[in-house]
Amino acid sequence: MNEQRRDFLRKAGIGALAGLGAAAGLFPLFALEKTDISVFSDKPVPGKTRWGMLVDTRKCGKGCTECIVRCHHDHNVPDFGKSKSSVKWIWKSEYEQAFPTASKQFQSPEVMNRKVLTLCNHCAEPPCTRACPTEATFRRWDGIVSMDYHRCIGCRFCMAACPYGSRSFNWQDPRPALKALSPTYPTRETGVVEKCNFCSERLVKGELPACVESCPEHALLFGDLNDPKSEIRTMLASNETMQRKPELGTLPSVFYII
Amino acid sequence: MNKHLLTLFSVLIGLVVFAGGWFIMHAGHQGVIPAVAATQAASAPAAKSVAIDSTRCIAQTEYMRAHHMQILNQWRHDSVREGNRTYMTRDGRHFDKSLNTCLGCHASNSMFCFMCHQYANVKPTCWNCHISPMEATQ
Repeated sequence: MNEQRRDFLRKAGIGALAGLGAAAGLFPLFALEKTDISVFSDKPVPGKTRWGMLVDTRKCGKGCTECIVRCHHDHNVPDFGKSKSSVKWIWKSEYEQAFPTASKQFQSPEVMNRKVLTLCNHCAEPPCTRACPTEATFRRWDGIVSMDYHRCIGCRFCMAACPYGSRSFNWQDPRPALKALSPTYPTRETGVVEKCNFCSERLVKGELPACVESCPEHALLFGDLNDPKSEIRTMLASNETMQRKPELGTLPSVFYII
Repeated sequence: MNKHLLTLFSVLIGLVVFAGGWFIMHAGHQGVIPAVAATQAASAPAAKSVAIDSTRCIAQTEYMRAHHMQILNQWRHDSVREGNRTYMTRDGRHFDKSLNTCLGCHASNSMFCFMCHQYANVKPTCWNCHISPMEATQ
């Protein structure tokens, strides 16, 4: 190896090092390749799905309580018999109570007399999760506003924050108030707030929510609001629908056909 | 003069080599690495239904005796908050992160939890809400 060649290699090496150093100083992120950590676990991608429901109040049977009975049995929702301490996940409201801010002037009396099926709206901007001081209630990756009963301290801030009255408090031990214990789902205890969970325990198994399944009139439609090709989205696109108190900006995931 | 020119030239060569190498390294890598696992997880968060091997627990008996409460806490956090429902043991077996997975085997002895908790004089609040094996058999 002659002197000139060695000199050239040495200087070229210094040049490459200088370039590397300058690049690392200027663009420090270039040194590392970005890796999405979430691919190494089976965690779902947050925000990919957003579960929603469409209630067709035209089909909903007058006096029918199939969905309520089924839901409250499956989830061990107690019946204390008093409206003041009642616990409810899904219930029927008067039209005026369900849509207090909707126009009622010269509304058809048939519509005004309809009972509207109401449940937790699983809002995209839920006020209850913001009020919760312990993060016992939170918005899940699939849009469901979920409860971790283990963490609930019973402060009822969420009940005050919810504009739809979708949350109930257990003033007494719910166990004695259960007519038939459903062995597949836990109960709650005194001092805990509870609400509809969009049947997340059934969705895990690939089943539809209990209310949707039990409706004899097929008035309830459940699906992914983020999927433009889903049945619920085509129904929403082809029908005039309403949300409860849309002016509050909570973006409810439960829609109504009047 | 000639020597300075040679130095400059060789430094430039080095820079070109570096830049070329950099482009080759990063060719085709735009953004994050697309992974097969991500799509699988999104489509089926919990549908890895492998038949549960009920002859062996997820860990050694001694470990489970001392740490089952930490495992249950971790499982609850993962499945309820993260949506990560599948637990893989060190030897590659898969389990659903649920109290029902434990009860699937251990509920065969309805006194399984109570005997030890009574002996250790601990009073966990699990059965205030969850249906205990004693109630389920009744």
